[in-house]
Amino acid sequence: MRITVDRPRCEGHGLCEEAAPALMHLDDDGELVLDVEEVEDGSPAAAAAAAAARVCPVAALRLE
Amino acid sequence: MTPGVVRRIVVVGNGIAGVTAADTLRALGFDGELTLVGDEPHPAYSRPALSKALLRDDDLASHLLPPPTHGATELRGVRVTALDPRARTVLLDGGDRLPYDGLVVATGCRARRLTEGDPDPAVELTLRSLEDALALRQRIAVRPDVVVVGGGPLGMEIASACLDAGCAVTLVSRGRPLVHQLGRHLSDVLVAAGLARGLRLETVGAARLERVDGGTRVVLADGRSLEAALVVTAAGDRANVEWLASSGLLRGGVLEADAAGRVRPDVVAAGDVAAVPTPAGVRRVPLWTSAIEAGRNAATALLQPDAVPTTTRPYFWTEQFGLSVKAVGHLPFGGDPALVDGDPGADRSLLQWGDGGSDGAGAAVAVNYRIPIPRLRRLCDAVA
Repeated sequence: MRITVDRPRCEGHGLCEEAAPALMHLDDDGELVLDVEEVEDGSPAAAAAAAAARVCPVAALRLE
Repeated sequence: MTPGVVRRIVVVGNGIAGVTAADTLRALGFDGELTLVGDEPHPAYSRPALSKALLRDDDLASHLLPPPTHGATELRGVRVTALDPRARTVLLDGGDRLPYDGLVVATGCRARRLTEGDPDPAVELTLRSLEDALALRQRIAVRPDVVVVGGGPLGMEIASACLDAGCAVTLVSRGRPLVHQLGRHLSDVLVAAGLARGLRLETVGAARLERVDGGTRVVLADGRSLEAALVVTAAGDRANVEWLASSGLLRGGVLEADAAGRVRPDVVAAGDVAAVPTPAGVRRVPLWTSAIEAGRNAATALLQPDAVPTTTRPYFWTEQFGLSVKAVGHLPFGGDPALVDGDPGADRSLLQWGDGGSDGAGAAVAVNYRIPIPRLRRLCDAVA
C-alpha cells in the first residue's frame, strides 16, 4: 500500500504525525515529509497509515 | 460485565467519533458483531472542512475521509428513536430493535435555529451537514447580500467565505465576535482582519427572523432590523439526545460521560453529544481532534474497563479573512500573549500564553505560521 500526500490540500496541521510518527513528520517549515511511502497490507504500519489518513481534516493523505 | 461477553456492539452515529470508535474496537481485537447506525446518508466526512475549504475552494473533495476499514454493518440514513438500557436494545425509526452488549453513543449535535419551531431554508440557512454546505455554496455563488447571525468561529468562517465569494456581508454578533469563544486577543486579530476585508459588524444580538419579499428580515434585540437576500445563522448547536429521553441516562437533559467516555459499564459516549470533565467543568468539547480522541477512549473503555484514557489539550483551528489560526490549550485564552516568533503586526506570528488558558495553564497559537501541532503542543507544555 502506498501513502500519498495531496500537497496543495495539506494545511500542515500535523495530526497525521501524531497518529503515525514512525511514518511521517512535518519539517521545520511545516511541510509534511513521508519517511515511509510503502507499507505492507495488513501490517501495523498500514494500520498506523490508515489512522493518519483518517485524522486528516482536509483529506490530504491517501492510501492507494 | 466482563470483556468476554461483549459479542455485539452497536455504534449510534456515523460521524468521526463513531467511526473512530468502530475502527478502535477492531484495532483492539473485537471481532464480534459490529453495527454502525447513522442518520446521514453519507459515509463519515470531515465536518470542519465544510465551513472552510468546501465553501471557499473549487476543490469539492476536501471533506472526504478514507473508506472505513472496520467492516461494520452500516445502516445509513437510519434514525435511532429510543434506547432501553435494561433490555439492552436500541429502537430504530421504523420499529426494528437492535440488541447490544456494548453501546457507543455518538449522535453529535445539530445546528440551533432561530426559527426552531418552523424551520424554513428560505428564511434561515445553517451550516452543519454536507447538504447545508452545498446549499450555502450554491446560494452565495450568485452573490446575494448576506447577513450572518452568530459571532462565534463558525459564523466568522461563513462570513469570510461569503466575502470571498463577492457578497456584501454583515455579521450580527451579541457583543464583539469571538471574545467569548477564543478570548480578547484572538478576537481582536480576527475581527480586524474581517473589517479590513469589508466585513460590516453589528454588535447588537439578533432577536428573531421574519420572512419578507425576496429574503429575510433580522430583527435585532434593540428593535432595529436588517434585511438580506440570504441569512445564515450560526447560533450554536444542540446535542442530539432526544432519543435518550426515556433511557434514564440524561441528567437535566445532558448526557454526561466520564473522562474515558463511560456513561455506565455497557454504554459509552463520544464526540459532540457528550459532556465530559474538563478543567472548566463538565461540558461538551465539539472539536475534531477531541472527537477522535474520545472515540478512541470510549471504544477502549467498552472492551477494557480499567484502561486509562488518553487525553491531550484541545486543538482548535480556524481559517478566516486570510488568516489561519491554530490553537492548543483550553479556550478562551485570556490576557496578552508573548510573541515567540513572527511579526508584532500579527500577520504571521507564534504566540504563547503562560497561564492564559481557561484551565489556568498554558496555551499556544500559530497565526499564518506553519508549525507541526506536536511542536505547538510542546510550546504549550513548556509554559504549563
